[in-house]
This record gives sequence, structure tokens and C-alpha cells, in this order.
Amino acid sequence: MKRIIAQTRKELTQFSRDRLTVVLALVLPMILMWLIGSSVSLTVSDLPVVVQDFDQTPTSRRYVETIRASLTFRIVPLPITAAPESALDKEKARAAIVIPADFEADLKRGKSTEVQWLIDGTDANTANVMRNNAAMISQAFNQQNAASVAPAINAEMRFWFNPGHDSNQYIGPAVFAVGLALFPPLLVALAMSREGEQKTILQVYVASIHAHEYLLGKILAYMIVAIGEWVLTLALAIPMFGIWFKGDPTVFLISSFLYLFCNVCFGAMAGASIPNQAAAIQAVQNVCFLLSFLLSGFVFPISNIPSWLRWVSGLVPARYFVEVSRDVFVRGGGWPATWHVPVVLAFLSLAFLFKGWMSLRKMQIDA
Amino acid sequence: MSDRFFNWRFWPLFFKELNELRRNRRLIGMMLLPPTLNLVLLGFAMNPEVTDLRLGIVDESRSAESRELISAFAESKSFVPAAYYSSVEELTRALSGGELEAGLVVPSDFAKKRARHESAEVQLLVDSVNSNTGSIAGGYAARVVGALNEKISLNRTSVQPARAESRVSLFYNAGLQNSWFIVTGMIGMLLVMLGSLVASASMVKEKEVGTVEQLLMTPAGSAEIILAKMAPIFLLLSVDIGLSTLVGNFVFGVPLRGSFTLLYFSGMLCVLSGIGIGTIIATFTRSQQQAQLMSFFVNPPLSMLSGATTPIEAMPQWMQPLTNLNPVKHFAVLARGVMLKGVGLEVLYPNFLALVVFTIILVGVSAWRFRKQLN
Amino acid sequence: MSAAIQVRNLVKNYNGFEAVKGVDLDISAGEIFGIIGPDGAGKTSVFQVLGGVMEPTSGEARMYGKSTVDARPFVGYLTQTFSLYQDLSVAENLRYVGQLRLLKRRQIEERGEHYLQMFDMARFKDRLAGSLSGGMKQKLALACALIAEPKILLLDEPTTGVDPVSRREFWDALAGLATGGMTMVVATPYLDEAERCHRVALMYDGEIHQTGTPAEIREQLGLQRLEVRAADLAQLGAAEDILNRIPSINDVQRFGDRLDLMVANVEVGEQATRDALGAAGIQATEFKSGAPTLENSFVAKLRELGGELKTSPFPRRRQFRERAADAIAIGAHDLGKRFGSFNAVKNINIEVKYGEIYGLLGANGAGKTTTIKMLCGLIGASSGKMELAGESGSLRSSFVRQRIGYMSQKFSLYDDLTIEENLNFFAGVYQVPREEREEKKRWVLEISGLEGKGDLVTCSLPGGWKQRVAFGCAVMHEPSVLFLDEPTSGVDPLARRAFWKMINGFADRGVAVLITTHYLEEAEQCNRLGFMVAGELVAEGTPSGVKAAQGGHLIELITDEPQAAADLLKHTRERWRISLFGDRLHVVVDANAEFEIEGLKKELATANISVLEAYEMPYSLEDVFISVVEKARNRG
Repeated sequence: MKRIIAQTRKELTQFSRDRLTVVLALVLPMILMWLIGSSVSLTVSDLPVVVQDFDQTPTSRRYVETIRASLTFRIVPLPITAAPESALDKEKARAAIVIPADFEADLKRGKSTEVQWLIDGTDANTANVMRNNAAMISQAFNQQNAASVAPAINAEMRFWFNPGHDSNQYIGPAVFAVGLALFPPLLVALAMSREGEQKTILQVYVASIHAHEYLLGKILAYMIVAIGEWVLTLALAIPMFGIWFKGDPTVFLISSFLYLFCNVCFGAMAGASIPNQAAAIQAVQNVCFLLSFLLSGFVFPISNIPSWLRWVSGLVPARYFVEVSRDVFVRGGGWPATWHVPVVLAFLSLAFLFKGWMSLRKMQIDA
Repeated sequence: MSDRFFNWRFWPLFFKELNELRRNRRLIGMMLLPPTLNLVLLGFAMNPEVTDLRLGIVDESRSAESRELISAFAESKSFVPAAYYSSVEELTRALSGGELEAGLVVPSDFAKKRARHESAEVQLLVDSVNSNTGSIAGGYAARVVGALNEKISLNRTSVQPARAESRVSLFYNAGLQNSWFIVTGMIGMLLVMLGSLVASASMVKEKEVGTVEQLLMTPAGSAEIILAKMAPIFLLLSVDIGLSTLVGNFVFGVPLRGSFTLLYFSGMLCVLSGIGIGTIIATFTRSQQQAQLMSFFVNPPLSMLSGATTPIEAMPQWMQPLTNLNPVKHFAVLARGVMLKGVGLEVLYPNFLALVVFTIILVGVSAWRFRKQLN
Repeated sequence: MSAAIQVRNLVKNYNGFEAVKGVDLDISAGEIFGIIGPDGAGKTSVFQVLGGVMEPTSGEARMYGKSTVDARPFVGYLTQTFSLYQDLSVAENLRYVGQLRLLKRRQIEERGEHYLQMFDMARFKDRLAGSLSGGMKQKLALACALIAEPKILLLDEPTTGVDPVSRREFWDALAGLATGGMTMVVATPYLDEAERCHRVALMYDGEIHQTGTPAEIREQLGLQRLEVRAADLAQLGAAEDILNRIPSINDVQRFGDRLDLMVANVEVGEQATRDALGAAGIQATEFKSGAPTLENSFVAKLRELGGELKTSPFPRRRQFRERAADAIAIGAHDLGKRFGSFNAVKNINIEVKYGEIYGLLGANGAGKTTTIKMLCGLIGASSGKMELAGESGSLRSSFVRQRIGYMSQKFSLYDDLTIEENLNFFAGVYQVPREEREEKKRWVLEISGLEGKGDLVTCSLPGGWKQRVAFGCAVMHEPSVLFLDEPTSGVDPLARRAFWKMINGFADRGVAVLITTHYLEEAEQCNRLGFMVAGELVAEGTPSGVKAAQGGHLIELITDEPQAAADLLKHTRERWRISLFGDRLHVVVDANAEFEIEGLKKELATANISVLEAYEMPYSLEDVFISVVEKARNRG
């Protein structure tokens, strides 16, 4: 125990010696969270569209008004002579709407008519949103136009948990998890591999300190740093995303602790097995950040990941923490909904810890 | 003439760099694996598609009419009836537990109102924690109900009312393959990030180990040194452009409808910009560790603010113009233009010019910084 | 005495390469045991096994009956590189190591204070380890190893790159610890340090060839030593070649300003030498006979084992342009360098002519490397004027650099390239004509003893071999000015001689050489010397000039207990006056030598130390260095 504390103290002294790293360590997670939080979202609005109205009648203009009224689209002007497709080619618009010449006449004659929606399908998700909206705009137009019978079924739509469609509610709690996925393990991995690279590890080897003491000493030191990052990041996330605890926060607090521990253990494991700082950074960056970013269900639903790849996400701690974080800030399901998260995180931590201990176990040079 | 060419100091410097690169298996791996592995991984994983939404049902009407509505939902590909609940409370509990994405509540007077030709109310509860999924699910549900309404009114009145229909044609990506979007965006991102990573590593290493002193004492000029450092990275990463195009095509069927030459040249400009960024980072740092930490300042904004994986329209208004300062964005537009849209320089020239300008600025600044440091 | 360390048939393989081929050692408690041997002999591998940080391939090592792993709590280990945390302060380094070894806080503070006092470092307690000079770093590393008061101390080349004054202080500390009963195993490339060991083992090519006390090893040689000095130092090289051909002289070894001849019979040898040198017109000034030193035996034994390197002549292709006599190759006028508020170099004036070897000497941190970097244009000077290879404006032009060879103190080859690739690179970048390249590359491989091994990756070579390749790379393009910053640091004695033979060869052909070194006996071969202390050039001149400028007399004492005698005399005189040279004691006195010798004998007799021999001696450069540096330190 004394050796663990000695190790921790030394790590913290070294850490605080490098002012730049301290600032980076505390500020970068916040910057990263802010950046991801404000830029990564799939919820589009104000998509530019061009409208080519060959009819130019009050009815056709009413159709155009319906488009304008939707929040999804924003009409941008198109030169009369230009082909609507060219607007898509040039990225001027995401969709082009062509209203045929006898639009009003046909409708008055009681003949159904078609409005052409040319949609840029490059971004499949956005295209899907546009397709739904195209259908809804025509329906709305028809209802106005017919103004006759009430619809047989009136579906009252209620959006739960996040009625404003505010993507912050979805992204915010998850970004909080992702922002913390990178730096704690990175710092501890660097601290471990630096000893290997600068050969100070020899001094540790001969000091007859046990592998677990050495490992836990480092982990403890960087847990303290990680908790500091957690507090700062949380303090930023709450006002930035406008979120607050919905219900019992204990499962969140316990999971937070375990999540940080799990990440630090991973970093320690990476640093223990890679005695080269640059390579260690690479490994941590790829595994912690990329996987947390992609496979945690943070923007892209886990259910969409093909099953041969989905098992990998089961090993990503951020995936579980995203769950618990969304629950506490948005749904408020508490222990019954998320009891498994602390269990899995604890299990993963122990696995990483064990792997790290295995590679250090002998406390000797490999040759 | 040829003698002077072969005796040029550039060659020994170039081969030295090439040999060092060759020895550094980790770096080579870093340069060749990500384009293939990352592209495949990302193409599969980054998929926001919304299908098979789990629908919980509370049917208080238990009538033929209510069953007609439920089967209309079941027939659509978007919803899968997951379970029936006896009360709204049970349904909402399941919704907050994350067992369902949507819930349908049919009240007991549904059949009665339908019989009286009144508008019958139903409730649709949509979990919109994920606002994207939520709004798409809402759109699907509205379409299902709308289609049913039409059918009902058709049956009721023999005369078909005149209607305006939206005939949607999907351009460029008719199958709405999300991977096409991701792959075309990721190529540029990988090229720039790898370029900067490898360049900063190779530049800073010499400083860190101390061999830079020895190098500076040789008669080689700074232009020769920086050229020789950039050339092998440039060559190797140029291979990646072709490689990732191939992977995109074989794994995800991403088409190549336009000119490969244009794509390749744009890719090379991307690589050069990346190398420029890496070199600039290297001139500000003393060790590889610092260089890599520094790249955490540069790379996330480059990749996040590019529209490579998420639509630019989803960013806050004020942020959208900033993406124009990002070479990754311009390459994404170029790649999508060439590969998916099949358009050429006549349309894409603004983005191509932007890339050229970035490359000139970045390489120029890096050469200037490097030179300044050498002297 | 009980056996503290027992090693039986120790073997260590690295990927098929046998580094240690069956070593046996028995080391008693309280012994200082030296392991000496050329670069790549396998010394470090033995240390790593003893330290418990590496598993042997086969065989075993036991320390006080315990396995090396279990013995860690009572073993201290000091490595070649500084194994300190650079970003922790001196006190924090000590505290961390102490706490790892489960010492109480009181113990850490007391012992830390004690050792820092002992090493004269108490003032620097709060300084970061990274900003200490090389010598101080090693002393701190020693203090860290000592804080747990280990029973066994392992020291792997602890004084490499450390200046002579600090080296002595370091060994004084070791000697003090040994009298306290600590067992020590030391590897060192300095044979005068090895003289201070109780027993030494000579390791070569993974095996131990000789073990015994220094005296035993000297006796095993079975020869007498005959020191010969020549009137003109420049003729020493020629004299060496002549004497090497005389059958009655077994071996000729060059030591700075003298030749050591190994002869079976002193009289016969002296006569033969006089005859031979006289015939060649070389005037021998001084003959002195005595027992051979450890270095004599070491060199002789290595030559016998075939460990000597070839020094084939450099395949020179170009002749120097005719130059005005006494043209200046390197010139510095009032050169100064300031880092922030710190004056690293203060108004230095240096002139080096073509064909001259100029040695820049000084303690660690005196500003030598900064000066060299300014002189060759690597860093800009804060003040003053410079001249290099005839250029005084732009020192960074590629024309100037083409004519300069530079070997930095930090390792200057590309570690991840093969030797061949390194050679190709330097040959190409200096535009060595294609037709000469093969010949020159072959020459570098020859002088490095690496013929046919060009495709080895450079980082797999031991440090001393890399130095030789680096030297080769620096001279392949036939420069006319050569900068060498500690080229022989960590290089074994035989290889160092080979180095100097080549350096002399270049100077003879008109190359200007500026060199720094911590081996002062090497520096005797310089034409002129400059001593730097704290950024200033405090003394300059030819080797004999600086010696002559040194006042007083030097007395060499051979006693039965040199360490105790040194400790005693340091209490009664100024510290700089006393220094240990192997088993001899050098005392600088101001008054009449005869008179002082009597006084010293009496003084030592009171402590029951008997003086076996005492005589006046000419100063060696090392004596001069110690007194210059120590006097400067005393001044402040």
C-alpha cells in the first residue's frame, strides 16, 4: 500500500510539473466535447432546395408556400434557364422541385397530378428525411386544397423525452462520455510508456516493487486527474446542452467512477505493453477514441452495425456509459433500466487490469 | 546533365527517408491499414438508417378497424409490432426502459368514431431521445396513417378527389446507401490525417534523436531536405488514394462515375496539405509526444467540421461557413462529385481551386517554418 | 569472507546471438569488483542479469544465497544512462526511490541529506534532475541507489561522459562505501578507475579471460614497463612505429605524451630503444622503469586475444589546395552565447590553423559543446565574430559545410538504417565521387572492425562501435576542418588509441581538428589546448605550456593504502592538491619537493600508512585539469 501511494505521489508530481500537459489534460476534453457536441448531428434543417414552377398559378404558388412553411427546407433561387439537376450537381441545392405546367388545370379538372422531387441521395440519411418531408408536404397541400372531409384517422404524434427534437438531448450526454474516453487513458499510457522509453523502468524493476503496486499507483494518480476532468466536463456539459439529472443519479455516479477507472486501466494496459510513446498514443487514439466514437451508439445506432462487427461494441466501455448517461439526463429510468452498466464496466476494468498486470508481471526486460 | 541529376543531393536524402520509412513497420502499417480497415469499419458502423422500429401497441378498441390500423403499421417496412400492452402506463414504462422506439395507443371509441365517419383519434408516442430517429419515425408514421386515410376515403366515395402527389426521384444514390456517403467523405479525412501524422512523426523524430545536427552540418540545402522528407510520404500515400477507391468499390459498391484522374489529383493535393500540416506541427514541437498531442488540437476540428461523416446542414448556422476553410470538406465535395455524381472540373472547379490554394499555402508555410528552424 | 555474489555458467542469448558465453564469478562481501573489457564484450548483459531485470538463458546467479529476483531489496543498480526522472527535483527523486523501498520518511530525509552532503550536492536539493550536469546526475543516481543502504551495488559504466574531477569524487564516494562493507561490481572503460577495485575480471567476447587483483593481473603479464618520453611530441608516432619492430620489446603502447614499452628486461630494452631511436634521429628525453599498469596489461591481453582494430590508411584522393602558411581554419573573436539570462559562453577567443589539433577541455557544463556548435555554425552566436574555412560571412553556406566534418556528442548515425545505408547516405549527401565510394565505405568498415557486417541495423551495435562508424561518416568526404565532440566517450582503451591514430593522420595531412574529450591523456596529443570553466577560456597553450604555467611541484606517492591516505591528506590540505590516479596519489605542493615528501611521509605514518615510494613528477594534463577546475570552483 505504501508503495502504491509513493508511486501515486510521484506520478502526480511529474504530471503537475509539466504545466502545458496539465492545461491540455484539463482543457482538451472540454474543447473536444464542445466541438463534437456542436458539429456532430444528423438533424438537418434549412436544407437548400430549388423550385422550378412551370405553372405559375395561384395553386402552384400555394404548393411552393407549403414547402416554404416547412422548417426542413429553404428555397434558394434558380435561374430560369438552368436545368434543376445542375443545382444538385453544383451542391447549390439538396433537392429540386419541379411543378408541371398544367398543375392547376389538372387539379381543377379533378385529375391527379405529380410534382417531381429530385433529391440528392449522396447523404442517404438526409435524403430519407427529405423523402418523408416530400410526402408530408403533398399530403398537407392536399388537405388544404380539398378542405373537404376530415381524415378518417387522426394520428396525434407525441415525441417523448425530447419533444423539441433537440439533438443536444441525444448527443449531449453521449458526447460527455466520448470526451472522457480519450484523455485519461492517453495520459496514463504516456506515463507508462515513457518509463520504458527513458529506461527509468529499470530503476523500478530493481526496486522490488510488485507489478500490481506499480500499476495501481499509476492508475490511482490518473484516476485523480480523470475525476478532475470529469467534474470540469460535466460542469460544461450541463449548461451547454441544457441537461440536468432526471431522477436517481446514483447509478450515474457509480458508473462514472467505474467508467473512468475502466478507461484508465485500458491506458495502463496499453502503456505497459507498448514501451514507445508514439506507438502508445496511436493505440490509445485508435482504440479509445475511434471505437468510442463509432461503436458506442453515440450518433449511429448500435442496432445498425452489422452483427459481425457488433460484438466489438460490446467491448467498448463508452457504449455502456453512453447508455447510463442518456438515461440519467433524458429518460430517468434509474437502476432498473441500467443496473447492468456498472457490472459490465467493473468486469471490463478487471479484464484490462489483468492484461496489464500480465505484461508487467515479471518486472523484467523482455529479451 | 544526367550525371548532375544522379549526383543531386536530393537522392541520398530521399533514399535515406525511404529506407527509414521501410524499417518503420509500425508507420507503414499506419499508412496502409487505416485506409482499408477504417474505411470498411466506418462504412459499416456509421449507419444512421432507420428500419424495424419496435412498436408497442395498446389496443383498447379491439375491433376490426383497430386491427386494420395495426396491420398497416406492420406491413410497412419501418415498423415491427413488438408487444401488446394492456395500459398506457405499461407502454410508457417500456418506452422509457428503451425496449421500444414507438408506441401506438388506439382508444376504445376508435371503432365507434370510424363507424360514425368522425375523425378517430389515435396516439403515437415516439421516443425522440435520438432526434434524428425520432423525426424519421414520426415521418414514417405519418405516411402510414396518410396512406390508410386515402384508402379509406377511396372506399367511401366512388369519386376520386384530385390530388397532388410527390414523385420522388433519388439522384446519385438511388439505393440510399449510407456507406457511399461515409466512404466518399472518409477518404479525404484519412489522407489529410495520415499525411499530417506521418509527416510530423518523421520530421520530429530527427530532432528528438539528435541526428538533425548531423544533417544540418551536411552541405544539403533546406529545400533538398524538406523535399526529400516529403517525397516518400507523398508517394506512399498516393497509393492509398487508389487503394481506398478500390476498397470502396469492392466492399460497398461505391461507383466511380467521373474521371479517376481528377479524383487522383485532388487526392494528391489532400496528401500534400496533410504533409504541410504535419510539417508545421513538427516545427512547433520538440518530441513525438508533443507532436501527437498537438495533433489533437488540429485533427478533431479537421474531421468534425468537414461534413465528411455528418451533414454540414446539421451544424449550427454560424459554423457552416467555417467548413470552407477545411481541405477535407473540399475533397469530400470533389469525391462525391466525381464518384457519385459523375461531374467534372466544369462543376467542381471552385473546390479544386480551393484545394490548390490550401496546398500552396500549407506547403509554403511549412517549408518556410522548416527553413527558419534549420537556419 | 563469505561469498556475496555467485555466478555459475551464466549464458545469455539474444535472438541467436550469444552475448554471454558461460561466465562464473565469485565476489566476496565488501569487495569492489571491476569488470573491464572492450565494447560489446557482454558486460551490460551480466549486469542486467545480476540486477534481476533480465532472465539468463541458462546458468544461475545468486546473491547472498538468494535468486537475483528475490535479492532486489538489498541490491542497488546504476545504469549506463541516467535512470532518473528528469522532471522531478533531486529531493523528489530520492523520496520516490526511498518510498518504493519502504523506508520511513525520517530515514529518507536523513540518508538523503547524508549522501547529498557526501557528494557535495546539498545545495541542489530543489533543482530538477534534468538540469543537473552529467557528473551530478550520476552522483544523484548513486544517491538514489544508496538510499536503501543496499548490501550490493551494481554499477554499469557509471562515469561515462563524466569529467575527471567529478569522476574522482564519484570514486572517492565509492571507496568510502566499500570500507563500510558494501559489495560493489563496477564496469568501467577507465582503467585508472579499475586500479581502485579490489579485484578485476577481464571480459572479452562473452567470456571472462582473467580474474585477479590488479596487482596479480599486472604480474601475470610478466613484463616490466619502460616509460619513454621524446623531446618532440610529434615524433612520438614515428618512434612508436620504429620500436614496434624491435624484437626485444614485447609491446609498445602510446599514452599521451609518452610511450610505454613492455620489456622482459629493462636494461636491455632501454639500450635497444636508445639505439633504435638514435639511429632515426629521434631524441628520447626520459626513461623511467616500473611495474606495468593495469592498462598496460589490459592492452597487452586484448592484443593477444586479437581485439585490436586495424587502422588502415585513409584512401585519400584529393590534395589540399596550396594555402598560405598559418592560414586560419577556425577563428573566434570575443565569441559569446547567452541563453536568456544565462551566459553559457563568455567572450572566447580561439584560433585553429590547418594541420593543428586543438583540444577544448572542461568540466561537464562548462560550455564546450555550445562553443563547438557556434564555431561550426549550428547555433548563432550572441556576440563576437567567427571565421570558418576561410569564410567569415555565411558559415551556413553549403560550400563551407562541404569542407567541414562534424561528429556530434549525441549519437549521429541513423539508428534505424543499416550501416551500409548510413554510409551510402553520408557519401551521397556529401557528393563523394561515385568511383571513390566503394573504397571509402570499405575503409570505414575496416576501421570499425565491421567488415562484411554492413547490413547490420545500426541500433544493434554497442556504443563504441557506432562511434567509429560515425567518425568514418564524418571524414569520408575529406573535409579540411573537423569538429569532434567527445568522439571517444564510452570507447574502450584500444579503440581510443586507434581513433587518435586516425585523428593524427588527418592532422598530418593539413586538416584542422577541434576536439573535446574527458580522457586527458588523449589530450596530450593535441597541439594546443584550451581549458574552459563556466563559459570562459581560463587557460590556453600547448600541453607543455599549460603544464609549465602550473606552479609548484607534483609529488607521486605509492602507499599501501592509497584511499585512506587520500582521505587523510584532504583533511589537512586544500582538496584540489590531492588526487588519486589509480593506485597512486598525486599531491601538488608549493615548497621544495624533497622537503614536502618528508612531511607527507611523517603525516601518513601517524595514521599507520607507509609510503612505499615518493618522488617528484612532471605534471600530467589530468593534474593540470584537476587543479584548474578545482581552483576555479573554490573561487566561486
